[in-house]
Amino acid sequence: MKQKNRLVVFGRTDPNQPINFTFNGKPYQGLLGDTLASALLANGVNVVGRSFKYARPRGIVGHGPEEPNGIIQLGSGSATVPNLKVTQVELYEGLDAKSVNGWPSVNIDVMGLVGAFGRLMPPGFYYKTFMYPKKLWMTYEHFIRKAAGLGKTPTEADPDTYEKLNQHCDVLVVGAGPAGLTAALEAGLTGARVIIADEQSEFGGSLLASTQPIDDQSSTDWIAQTVSAITAMPNVQRLSRSTVFGYYDHNFLTILEKRTDHLGINSPQGARQRLHRVRAKQVVLATGAFERPLVFAHNDIPGVMQASSVSTYVNRYGVAPGEKLVLATTNDNAYQTAIDWYNSGRVVVAVVDTRQATNGPLVSHVKDLGIEVLQGYGVIQAMGSKRVRGALVAPLNENGTKVTGPVEQLKCDLIATSGGWSAAVHLSSHTGAKPIWDDAIVSFRPGISKQQERSVGACNGTFDLAQGLLEGALAGSEAAQLAGFGDGQVKRGMPIVNTLEEQAQQALFLIPHTLPSSRAPSQFVDLQLDVSAAGIELAVTEGFESVEHVKRYTALGFGTDQGKLGNINGMAILANALGQSIAETGTTIFRPSYTPTTFGAIAGRDIGELFDPERYTAMHRWHEQQGAVFEDVGQWKRPWFFPNQQETMHQAVNRECMAVRNSIGILDASTLGKIDIQGPDAAEFITRMYTNSYLTLAPGKCRYGVMLKEDGMIFDDGVCACISDNHYLMFTTTGGAAGVLAWLELWQQTEWPELQVYFTSVTDHWATATITGPNARNVMAKVCDDIDLSADKFGFMDWRDGTVAGLAARVFRISFTGELTYEINVAANYGRYLWERLMAAGAEFDITPYGTEAMHVLRAEKGFIIVGQDTDGSMTPTDMNMDWVIGKKKTFSFVGKRSLERSDCLRDNRKRLVGLKTLVPTAVIPEGAQIVNDPHQPLPMAMQGHVTSSYFSANLDHSIALAVVKGGLNRMGEIVYCPAADGSSIAAEIVNSVFYDPKGERQHV
Amino acid sequence: MSESLQPQPRFESPSHYVRGRHSGNVQSVTDAGLVVTEVNNGCYLNLRGDASNAEFNAAVLSVLGISLPLMPGTFMANDTECLYWLGPNEWLLVSAQPGQKREAELRAVLNGHIAVVDVSGGFTQLNLSGPSLNFVLKKSSVYDFEAWWIQPKNDLRCVQTTFAKASALVIGQSQGTVAIIIRRSFTDYIAQWLLDCAADNGCFISP
Repeated sequence: MKQKNRLVVFGRTDPNQPINFTFNGKPYQGLLGDTLASALLANGVNVVGRSFKYARPRGIVGHGPEEPNGIIQLGSGSATVPNLKVTQVELYEGLDAKSVNGWPSVNIDVMGLVGAFGRLMPPGFYYKTFMYPKKLWMTYEHFIRKAAGLGKTPTEADPDTYEKLNQHCDVLVVGAGPAGLTAALEAGLTGARVIIADEQSEFGGSLLASTQPIDDQSSTDWIAQTVSAITAMPNVQRLSRSTVFGYYDHNFLTILEKRTDHLGINSPQGARQRLHRVRAKQVVLATGAFERPLVFAHNDIPGVMQASSVSTYVNRYGVAPGEKLVLATTNDNAYQTAIDWYNSGRVVVAVVDTRQATNGPLVSHVKDLGIEVLQGYGVIQAMGSKRVRGALVAPLNENGTKVTGPVEQLKCDLIATSGGWSAAVHLSSHTGAKPIWDDAIVSFRPGISKQQERSVGACNGTFDLAQGLLEGALAGSEAAQLAGFGDGQVKRGMPIVNTLEEQAQQALFLIPHTLPSSRAPSQFVDLQLDVSAAGIELAVTEGFESVEHVKRYTALGFGTDQGKLGNINGMAILANALGQSIAETGTTIFRPSYTPTTFGAIAGRDIGELFDPERYTAMHRWHEQQGAVFEDVGQWKRPWFFPNQQETMHQAVNRECMAVRNSIGILDASTLGKIDIQGPDAAEFITRMYTNSYLTLAPGKCRYGVMLKEDGMIFDDGVCACISDNHYLMFTTTGGAAGVLAWLELWQQTEWPELQVYFTSVTDHWATATITGPNARNVMAKVCDDIDLSADKFGFMDWRDGTVAGLAARVFRISFTGELTYEINVAANYGRYLWERLMAAGAEFDITPYGTEAMHVLRAEKGFIIVGQDTDGSMTPTDMNMDWVIGKKKTFSFVGKRSLERSDCLRDNRKRLVGLKTLVPTAVIPEGAQIVNDPHQPLPMAMQGHVTSSYFSANLDHSIALAVVKGGLNRMGEIVYCPAADGSSIAAEIVNSVFYDPKGERQHV
Repeated sequence: MSESLQPQPRFESPSHYVRGRHSGNVQSVTDAGLVVTEVNNGCYLNLRGDASNAEFNAAVLSVLGISLPLMPGTFMANDTECLYWLGPNEWLLVSAQPGQKREAELRAVLNGHIAVVDVSGGFTQLNLSGPSLNFVLKKSSVYDFEAWWIQPKNDLRCVQTTFAKASALVIGQSQGTVAIIIRRSFTDYIAQWLLDCAADNGCFISP
């Protein structure tokens, strides 16, 4: 397999290490050290994709993250990766890539038809065309997505692993080009912790493709020397293949390190990518610059490339992407490309320079080589379809705004263009610094910094190499000093660089055509999204003025390249159309990510079973061994029900419920939130937080309370026990525990710091086994002989310290079932032992473990609410028929009290908690069902309320439900209906919310 | 006979079900990148009080033989007691003594607005060591533990911070060893996290 464009004597690729790969199904060979882009160019592959809107054939333009056209899908199956840039994919054996855009193929394309009607697709085309009729949007969307070629997401789980690493450093250097290297070196010499990150496979940045000597040695030798000096310092961490993609507040930056991507898909060992989350004391940005392409007619034909990219392919990769070069430029700097091309042994047809008179050293050098230089000329149009065949050139006026003479054609297959350099101000812009336009360098510069950072080198608008090296060194030592290291002085001597003087460049963002932009062949500004100069001008004609609006209307800079090539030209064309300066027009805001980032890296290892912590009680393994089915309650795993063999959930829950009412059940209640409260003002504080009073609660006693937010709505409920004077234990809901503790701390610390009270979470300390049912006292008596269990000595809502199963225990007579109940708390390390002893003691009474589902049914039979199920943040205690829990005579107010007196809280027809008894005893209403008076009324029906809890009660042999119904307490006995989506409805009678033992006699025993 | 008279209730430590587990290609503590060892301390007590009150400090010293650490992120220790700074008025006492005994002794000498809470069942301590330790800490927490080793101070260092998606009190021991004190209910999650975290070079949880 011949690589027709491979040069023999150039580059950092290894001719002895061929690598086989496939592109769009066709096999090719490249070399170790190639990117996919350089390998494709070596093989003379012209077309790598089709454009977004017009489906025009497109070739490789750049050599880095700015590449707009070479967007590929890598691999297949579960490990496929969409939307990679060919310029950023390192070649590996067996690499298999396909163009994402080009359906059904890049060379034969049904979308070409659309392309032929390109003029029918003006900016805002999608807004204008696909808006109406609305019902066709789904069809349009399908068509647009297919046409847009956004790549394919894998259909299976990602087989790779990713991880996140939290890093801290004194100085973070972003970019390992010349300025970044001197910055890292100087910062490292002070002993500071330094991280230097660069997105390329090796350090060196632009110098990797440079022929410029430094310190009398080749630039690559200088890189090697500098990198080895940095490597020798253990305090400097080097990250290659690592893109700093986001810069956030407080000097927090994110780096995506690609660890094994270059080894191939499914490569062995360790994480594929690592997300570094860096807290840096000081940051040095040395992110370089992007060359600006020239905008002219049909500048999108494959074979039109960036001048610096042509040099990079020649010098770094040993690839000459063509035969005959025409160089189009507005500056001296790009003349180097003509020299590089000449040195590669291929033909330079001409240099076309828009400036009228130029005679800098580089220009003279090119002229000395015998290369024709057309001064005061522009390339106004490229010729060809799938490859450049020629360049139309014409003389221009001094401003570069008009063609002033006859057009002639130069035969060539490669047009390299340079419109100067744009500083890569992206990361600085992430911090909120607004870039500032500088006419002197025809580029934005970083704005005034809002973080502990500075930009150096080309990203600071310092395009001169010697200046960049110095800036880097100064910034490295300064940053280290500000972080507390070194004296701020540069330690190393500055490298000697023989800089050639460059003459002034011309600020030219659109090469004129003989026809006006609106009539000339498309002059592309944003190649990825097919935004043309005419499109931007049309947007202005249609009334758009703000750069942000024009961006969204035309889609300028919206592609995966984020307009790294096109944005500045686009803004300049916009400014010109608006008749204002670029500075006045400004730029759009750059945001993270700088380059696309995988979701895998952002997720890291927080996936699967590690996605959210699973909290287990001390008895968890016992439940597992009994075959419990678990339910998530917050982060806790709670047994939902304990099925015997062959039992359905319904059968298991019925059995568990019956056991509690008829003999005894046992529940793991360890997950309930428990807060220990101590201090002289504990009772006062608790009384301010709950609606009722705790001032008179005596040691040994418990009380149920409801907590409100300031809006008067129920937020949590639970029992509070008085342990001793100044010492209380508060129970919260399982899910609400952390929120309640934070709520208490908030009020104590910000509103009532004068109240002396301390809170401590003891949720994890106690394991809680609840035994409940008529036989609970009999079982208790078997395991406890130091508490008097008689009803008059240890009554309902009392608690006692004692010894249970040989363990120090706190026993509470509180009940969520309405039965005789003991909640036994022991230190959690003995929780399973306690549980097993209770099971053994209860065996003769057929003690039955029950889960949260039976717990829910049992409490619903009693009409006990569950906060978060029967309430939803819009329910007051009165709505829940709990006026009795609101203390009327409290001297101090309580949180939420004032809101209870709002007129809306007092109106008559608020939704009130009621019971629903279905007319058909077996019909269970779906929870959440809406309630109406007449199921046959026309839509939309008048809603009366909704069902909050609904179960079949085995004990009552009847379906029961709790619901909130407008004015429900005045509607007892009325029949209401719960319509279902299928048109049927369930009829139910409004009844009292307490279905079972309404007088509470069973728990007062 | 009442069953409560049966002797010796069975103690089950929070890491009971993860002991002996390992990840990567390791079979023992000697070849693991990370070794995790649970320490069963006598008790954990949460202590609250006014640090500016000299009597409070003196009372604590009289019972424990160590003073309250007043510098944020530090702890005080002797052979049997450790007092960790948790906040300006909050400390965690880890003692070799039983919790009830220590609580009673402290309550006997402390006056005014104080709190002593036995939380012995709520926590456990895992010692982490091995060549993967620093890497595991970087993966697990946003805190800058590296700084502890780079700029060693005379103070004994500890910090309450996030650990994976749970929280932990992380305690610097010697170079290359830290202890984490975590809530009991998160033990299985943390163990699973550590096994995964250090899988490349292997993690071994001591039996």
